[in-house]
Amino acid sequence: MSESATPQNFDLEVNGISYPISADQGKNLLSVIREDVGLTGTKEGCDDCECGACMVLLDGQPVNSCSYLAVQAQGRTVTTIEGVMQGEEMHALQRNLLDEGGVQCGFCTPGMIMSAHALLDRNSNPTPEDVKIGLSGNLCRCTGYAKILAAVEKTAAE
Amino acid sequence: MSLNEAPKFVRADGPDKVTGSGRYTADMNMTGQLVAKFRYADVAHARVTKIDVSAAKATPGVLAVLTAADVPDLRYSPVVPDRTLFVKDVVRFEGEIVAAVAAVNAATAQAAVDSIVFEYDGLPVVTDLEAALADGSPIVHEGWESYGVSGDTVQRPNVASFSSIEKGDIRAGLAAADHVITSRYVADASHALPIEPRAVLAQWEGNKVTIWTSTQVPFDARNGVCETLQMPSSRVRIIVPHLGGGFGGKCGFHFEAHIAALARASKRPVKLVFSRREEFLAPDRRREGMIVDITTGVTNDGTITAREGWIAIDNGAYTADAAFFPQLAAMHVAGPYVSPNVFVESSLVYTNHQPSGSVRAPTAPQACWALESHTDEIARTIGMDPVDFRRKNTVDEGLEGPAAQVYGEIGLRRCLETAVANSAYGSQLPENEAVGVAVGWWPSFPGPSGAYIKVDADGSGQIITGAQECGTGSVMTLRYLAAEELGMEPEDFELVYQDTSAAPYDTGATGSQTLLNNGRAVIEGAREVAAQLRDVAADQLEAAAGDIVLADGFAHVSGSPDRNVSIVELAGIAAEGEMLIGKGSGTPPDYPTVSATCVGDQGVAGWAGPQFSCHAVRVRLDRDTGVVRVLEISAAHDSGTIINPIAAHGQVEGGITMGIGQALSEGTVYGDDAKQRNAGLLEYKLQTAADAPLVTTEFIEIPDPNAGPRGAKGLAEAPNVPTAAAIANAVAQLIGEPVRQLPMTPERVWAVSEGSSS
Ligand code: FES
Ligand code: FES
Repeated sequence: MSESATPQNFDLEVNGISYPISADQGKNLLSVIREDVGLTGTKEGCDDCECGACMVLLDGQPVNSCSYLAVQAQGRTVTTIEGVMQGEEMHALQRNLLDEGGVQCGFCTPGMIMSAHALLDRNSNPTPEDVKIGLSGNLCRCTGYAKILAAVEKTAAE
Repeated sequence: MSLNEAPKFVRADGPDKVTGSGRYTADMNMTGQLVAKFRYADVAHARVTKIDVSAAKATPGVLAVLTAADVPDLRYSPVVPDRTLFVKDVVRFEGEIVAAVAAVNAATAQAAVDSIVFEYDGLPVVTDLEAALADGSPIVHEGWESYGVSGDTVQRPNVASFSSIEKGDIRAGLAAADHVITSRYVADASHALPIEPRAVLAQWEGNKVTIWTSTQVPFDARNGVCETLQMPSSRVRIIVPHLGGGFGGKCGFHFEAHIAALARASKRPVKLVFSRREEFLAPDRRREGMIVDITTGVTNDGTITAREGWIAIDNGAYTADAAFFPQLAAMHVAGPYVSPNVFVESSLVYTNHQPSGSVRAPTAPQACWALESHTDEIARTIGMDPVDFRRKNTVDEGLEGPAAQVYGEIGLRRCLETAVANSAYGSQLPENEAVGVAVGWWPSFPGPSGAYIKVDADGSGQIITGAQECGTGSVMTLRYLAAEELGMEPEDFELVYQDTSAAPYDTGATGSQTLLNNGRAVIEGAREVAAQLRDVAADQLEAAAGDIVLADGFAHVSGSPDRNVSIVELAGIAAEGEMLIGKGSGTPPDYPTVSATCVGDQGVAGWAGPQFSCHAVRVRLDRDTGVVRVLEISAAHDSGTIINPIAAHGQVEGGITMGIGQALSEGTVYGDDAKQRNAGLLEYKLQTAADAPLVTTEFIEIPDPNAGPRGAKGLAEAPNVPTAAAIANAVAQLIGEPVRQLPMTPERVWAVSEGSSS
C-alpha cells in the first residue's frame, strides 16, 4: 500500500503563489498545505472538523482545511496564516491579539485569525455577539476566549 | 492592580505565534524521517497469548517493529513503578501499546500495524471503585506487593496509594454537633485536552539521541528515556519546540522512549504525531474520576465541630505521578475550613480505565465541587446564609487548617468578600437565575530550578533557563525579572529554553511553579551579572562598586546620575576580558511541617504559598431541558503578588472556562468493557467562544514571605478549582437540591429537578 496510489497533478494558489502539486486524490487541503506546499502555520488539532485549528480562507471564505479535498481547491485562491502579514507589517488582528493578551500557547491562534479575518471581511462592524458566533468554530483551551474576543472587537473598531 | 494600570506584556514568542512562523513539534521534519504508529491493545483487561509481528516486519517499507522483547525489561514511574513501555503479559487498559512500527509513510506504517497478530484471553474488567475495594475483586496488578514503592507510600489490594489525615477526635467532634450532615458526590473522569495533539521526533547521531517532543516537563521526559532505555543523561537531549498547551496532560514521560527506540532500530529519524482519538485514549494523564463521601458536624450557630471524609479516586491501570493524589484530595475534601476534629481517608484505586495523572489542579475541582456543594447543604440544613457560613468557618491568619498548619496572612476571606461583592449575590434575579458561591485553595510547589544569565558584547542579554513555557507566559515573564536586576529592558533579552542540554534543571510547566522557582533562579543569576557589571563600571567611573546603580540602560554613581556609562559600553569592555556570565538556583522556600497524623504521607499536607480563591457564578437554567448557561463569573484570587497582570488575568479566564466545561459538559463515558465511548471532540464537548461568560477578576495581593519572587505564589491551576463548585451551588438553588454527579449535564440536571419537584 502506498500513499500516492493515484497521484493527481494540479496547481494550487496559496497566498498569491501558484504551486504545482502532485498528490493523492483523497489528500486533504491541510496536508497538502503542510506537506506539499510546505507552510506549517496552519495546524491540525482534530482532523474531524471540530477544532478550527486548520482554518484557511478559500476565495475569502473560512473552511476547515482538514475536511476539504485539496484537488477541489484548484482554480481557487487559498489564504493561510502566512498570507496575513501586510508586507513587513503585522495585520491589526495579529497586533491586537498580542496587545490584548489573546495568545497563550498559540496553537489555536492561526485558525482564530483566519476566522476573525473572514468575519471582519464580511462584517466590518460586528456586535460582540457577532464576534462570538464568528469564532465559535475555533476551540481555544488556554484563554477562555475573553481576550481573543476583545482583540477582534478592537480591530473592528480601528 | 487593575489590568488598565498594568505595563504592557510583550511575549517574546508572540510574533512566532501570530504569524504562523513558530514551529511546534509536528511542524518539524528531518531528511530520511520515518512515520511511527502504535498498535494498541484495544481491550481493557486481558492475558496475552500471542504477539506475532513477523508480517509487519516483512512489509516492504517497514524499517522497525518493536515490542516488549526489544527494550530493557523493567517497570518505571515515580513512587509506584508499575508501568512498562510495551504490553508484556497482561493488558490493563485499552490504550496500552502492544507494538510500535516505523515505516516510510503513514499508510505503510498503518498496514504493518494492522498485520500484527495479537491474541489474548479476556479477563474480567475492574471499573467500579467500590467493587474494586471489596474482597474478592479481580486484582488489576497481581504481584503488586513486589513493585517496590518509595517513601511512605501505603498500598493495599487494588490500592496504589492510600493516605489519611487525622486530627483531634472525630467521634467526639461528631457527638458534640447539633447537626450531622452526610453527602455523597461522584465525579466522572475528564481530559486535559490541549489543542495540540502530542508529537515526538527522535534522531540518533552516534550513540546520542536528540528528541523533539511536545512535553511540559523536558527533564522528566529525559529521565524517563534514560531510565527505560538505560542510558546516561549525557546521551539524551530533549528539545521542546513551541508547545501547544498541556494543562498537565503533557506532564510526565510518555512516548519519547518508544520513538527513540524505533529511531535506533531503524537507523533513521522517526516521527510520531497523535490523532485526536489517540490523544484521548493513550496518554496516562487524564483527570481522575472520584467518589467523595463527606460528613460534617455543626452546632446550631454554624460552627464546625468535626469533618470526616472517605474518598476513592480512579487511578486507572497505572499510577503515573498520581501517588500523591489521595493526600491532596483529602486536603481538598477537608478544605480551607477550621475544624478541631478531622478524619479523611483516601484511596487511589486501580481499575482498567486509562491511567490518571496530574491535570490542572489534580483532584481539586472535583473534591472542591463535592465539599462546596456539601457546604451549601450544611447552610441550608441549619438555615444559615451560605456566604455567612463561609465567613464564619474558613481559615484565616493565625487559624489552623485541617492538617494543623497555622497560616500567616492569607486572603481567603477577602477573596470571599470581593467575589461576592462583585456579583449579583443577594439581589433580585429572574426566577430561572441564581448566583452560587464557592471557595477553593491550592498549594504552591517549591522545588529546585536553575538558570544562566549572560550579557554579550553588544549589550544583548540571554536567559538560558530550564523552565518550560506552556502558554501561560511565565517563561516570558522571566525577562522582566532579569531586566529589572540589570537596569535593562525586557526586550533586550533572548530566551533560550526548553533544551535539556543547554540549561540547568527545572521541574517544568507543572505545579504552577515556573515563576515561583525559576523566577528565583533568574533573579539570582542576574544579580551575579549585576555585580560583575558594577565592578566594570566602578573601574570606568572611578567609584566604589557598592555605589554603582544600574538603571535605564546605564550604570551611574549613586547620587550622581551624570557620572554614568552605558551598559552596552560596559558589556563591550567585559567581552574583552572577564565576561558577564551569571548562574542562579537559590534555595527553595520551605514546606511547612504539620502536626496532624498523616498516614501514607506524600508531602502535600503542609502547603507552602497556599493560594486561595472564591468564585461567584450567575447561571440561567432552562427548566424544560436542564441546560445550564453561565452568564457571569466574579473571581477573586490570592496568589500573592501578581508580577504579570495581563498573563494572570489570562490564567483566570482560561481556568474558569475549563472549569465550566468540567461542570457542565466534560466527562468521559465508559462502556461496561472499560473502554471510552466519547473519545472525540464531537462527543466530548469543550466550551466555545459562543459560551464565554463575562469574567471579572480581582487579585488580593498579599506578598507571601515564604514563596516566590516578591511574594508571588503559583496561579495557573488555582482558577480551575472552585468554578464547578460555584456553578453547582447556583444550580442547587434553582432546583432545590444538588446534582450529585459531575459533569452536571442537562440530563442529570433535568432528572434531579424532576425528582425534587414531583
Ligand atoms: S484540524 Fe480541522 S477542524 Fe480540527
Ligand atoms: S492559545 Fe492555546 S489553544 Fe488557544
